[in-house]
Amino acid sequence: MDKPDQRLFEADLASAQFRAGAQKGYWGLPGTDLLPEQPAWPLRILWVAAAPRSEAPNRFYLQLDLADYRTASPTGTFWDLKTGTMLEAAKRPKGRNGSRVAKVFRMDWEEGKAFYHPYDRVAAKGHPKWATEQPSLIWDSNHTIVDYLEEIHPLLNSGDYIGL
Amino acid sequence: MAVEAIELFIHRQGAKPRVAVAGPHEILREVLVRAEVLIEGQEELLVFVGECEEALEEPGEIENGEDGHVAVDLSLTIEALELHRHRHVHVHRCKRVAVEVHFNGDTKRHRFSPATTIAVVTQWARKKFKLDPAAGAEYVLQICDTTTQPRPSEHLGELVEPLVCAICFKLVKEITPQG
Repeated sequence: MDKPDQRLFEADLASAQFRAGAQKGYWGLPGTDLLPEQPAWPLRILWVAAAPRSEAPNRFYLQLDLADYRTASPTGTFWDLKTGTMLEAAKRPKGRNGSRVAKVFRMDWEEGKAFYHPYDRVAAKGHPKWATEQPSLIWDSNHTIVDYLEEIHPLLNSGDYIGL
Repeated sequence: MAVEAIELFIHRQGAKPRVAVAGPHEILREVLVRAEVLIEGQEELLVFVGECEEALEEPGEIENGEDGHVAVDLSLTIEALELHRHRHVHVHRCKRVAVEVHFNGDTKRHRFSPATTIAVVTQWARKKFKLDPAAGAEYVLQICDTTTQPRPSEHLGELVEPLVCAICFKLVKEITPQG
């Protein structure tokens, strides 16, 4: 039987907010042609669309750890579906120097295993000051996977996103 | 070509949107009653379809502009209303939402359709305040007197308080995580 955090996540995948973004092509779950089976819970792989850039793909995959979902925020990073490992540095999306895109997707912190963003569980735990510095981005149980994706999607479609 | 049953996203004032599935020949009123968004005999609400982006076409010199988005006739079918293309249905008491945005000591105003996303209002505000497109990307809307920064996909109609057809925002720079 599914666990409560897993049931909550799956209910959020069926929500209007997630479905509307999927219908617009902003994000989704990989098809079974690309990923025959999702990893064991609490891991899940999703994709997020990216603005066209020379030599860069039009979507990136994320592997997220959703343990204790909604009570705790997700954590994760870009994923290589072909190798089943974290996406190597050369294939990761990059941001203009000093931009928010570059900061959130940085690889010189935790070896790029988590996003440098207040919604990421690992990043938030290591930066208790962020809660007072960025009160609009405090994760609580009213937040869903859509809040997380709506932080990543605009970064991959920002003018500061420069490709690979 | 025949239009199959489609997923619709129904938005209401002060509530989370919900999904409804409807066939092409169904009447919109019946779909909304089935989704428990409309009650038969209830005072008439306004229903808009799609996501309104008219403000983005507004010339820069226009002050206090207003969208022309028109409410639809509920007796029409899903197919006639082209909901396979529009997808979003907004049920609202307000014909327009009066928005004011404050930035750098200046204020810009526009009367938006309730079916306007925060992404569109943000883009309109960056343009009105003549922010450079590259630098302006890091500016977002924050509801006045709060720390709430609505998500880009939220609609004005969902954000305004019941019986209130107005909302105030500040245009603020997103903080880049540090430390």
